[in-house]
Amino acid sequence: MLIEPPSDRESLSHLQLLHLADSALPVGALAHSFGLESLTAEEILTTGNLESFLRAHIEEAGLLEAVFCRQAFRLASDARAAEKLPIEPWIALNFQLTARKPAREARTASATIGRTFLMAVNNLGDYPLLREALTAAKESGTGPHHSLAFGLASAILHLDENLAALSFVHQSVSSLVSACQRLLPLGQTAATRILWNVKPAMIACAEASASCAVDSAFCFLPMLDWGAMEHPALATRLFIS
Amino acid sequence: MAPIAPIPPTAIAHPADEPFAISIDSPDVAAPAPAPARPRICARMDLEFTYDADHGRTRLRSSHQEPPLKAVRAFAAADGAALLHLHNVSGGLLGGDQLSLNAKLGPGAMVQLTTTGATRIYRPRTEAPPATQTNEVTVGESAQLEYVPDPIIPYAGARFSQRTSIHLAAGAGLFWWEILSPGREAHGEVFQYACMEVRTDVTARGRPICSERVRLQPRQHDLSSAARMGNYRYWATFYVCRVGIEPSAWRALEDRVRERSAAFQPVGEARWGVSTLSSDGLVIRGMAHHGRDAYSGLLAFWRVAKQALYGQEPVLPRKVY
Repeated sequence: MLIEPPSDRESLSHLQLLHLADSALPVGALAHSFGLESLTAEEILTTGNLESFLRAHIEEAGLLEAVFCRQAFRLASDARAAEKLPIEPWIALNFQLTARKPAREARTASATIGRTFLMAVNNLGDYPLLREALTAAKESGTGPHHSLAFGLASAILHLDENLAALSFVHQSVSSLVSACQRLLPLGQTAATRILWNVKPAMIACAEASASCAVDSAFCFLPMLDWGAMEHPALATRLFIS
Repeated sequence: MAPIAPIPPTAIAHPADEPFAISIDSPDVAAPAPAPARPRICARMDLEFTYDADHGRTRLRSSHQEPPLKAVRAFAAADGAALLHLHNVSGGLLGGDQLSLNAKLGPGAMVQLTTTGATRIYRPRTEAPPATQTNEVTVGESAQLEYVPDPIIPYAGARFSQRTSIHLAAGAGLFWWEILSPGREAHGEVFQYACMEVRTDVTARGRPICSERVRLQPRQHDLSSAARMGNYRYWATFYVCRVGIEPSAWRALEDRVRERSAAFQPVGEARWGVSTLSSDGLVIRGMAHHGRDAYSGLLAFWRVAKQALYGQEPVLPRKVY
């Protein structure tokens, strides 16, 4: 059976999504470990347990961020027709996600990367809704968090919601693996294998996030919280968070 | 002080552990004959505190209590606060129990709430829904609430869901901790509960400053993961808030708490982290091997924070820690 070739529009969407989720996108994500630096310094996180660590991370933090990514996506999808971003829900989402992040450095990192991400996308074309989102976040003093910014931009660019959530989870985990390559004796081959192995967990996470309400997006990662909270106390630091 | 409404006799006795109960995840255990559905307890406790400026102390102005919930009575603490012991006369929660606490502190009121013992979450009948606890707390202008309960102890197979909403007005202060134990350790039950859900929201002047959504399912998700609890067993959270304090003061307090926590961490018995919230407070998170280590940390941080925010020593509940 012949497979229908994708339309130009679909192909462009796929490429744009790959671009936005590329770790090479200059948004500053590689400067953050989100607490992993503390965990490796204490030898809590090692090369040996990295894969299981990431699986737990995907189940908890991955789900949380994917749920919020989808919320922003749906908000912007509705706004596209009206050509006006509903400011209050957008700000409320950012405040909610801010409140869900207990560690100061990780919270700030999420907002900083999100802001840089929106600015980077805004520089790629003329997107009034993105500009509104940036301005509103700046005026409110919260966010825009990375997952929300990613969902918002994906909807404005007419990308697919499921793929957007999945891509966000993938790029988040890729960034963590990249950080671990600088923190642990983790070679390129081993890092690639780990990232390859956890892809089914990412798919399960993105699928679960489709029907998960914000109120039911649970996240229990106390050791990671500890690492992120105590990162400011590290004597020597490679990462901002 | 308004008299506390008399407590009617408790109609439903709670056994220490429900007979014939089996874990929901133990299909290999022979199921007993179905027992008649146990009446579900739906009980509420409403407490309202006001500051009596004439006498410089806080009073329990009104109270509504439904069994098995009981407030022993409001004692006058040395600092003028009202000290109240929350008591569940049935000893704990069974599957299907729905308990709620509504506490309102008027402007300037100072209240310390504690428990008379650990909150036990019993093993439920297979068909029973989760036990639930709902806490709705309002802390008025310049009022101060200290909520320092004993730990939650979930029995094997326990299912529990707690939802807490705390609303802080301008100048309101909060010291709120919770400790989750792994179960009845002496009975050999460690992380054998089925599900523990905790939802906590704190708002300051209507704006969310922290929001917690945790679900622990030891059989579905490995709690010993290096991302979760590692080899620790106790988990503690301590919120310290005072609305209106400048962010720089919170950063300074964060540093002081971190310095204090360093004294606990070298021995490896506990691991504490601290961070400022987005505004008006900070959160301290800890994991410990033993309950006593969780307590010692929380008490130390309470002292540091109370001194920094109010220039006072906390008045500890009369308990053995």
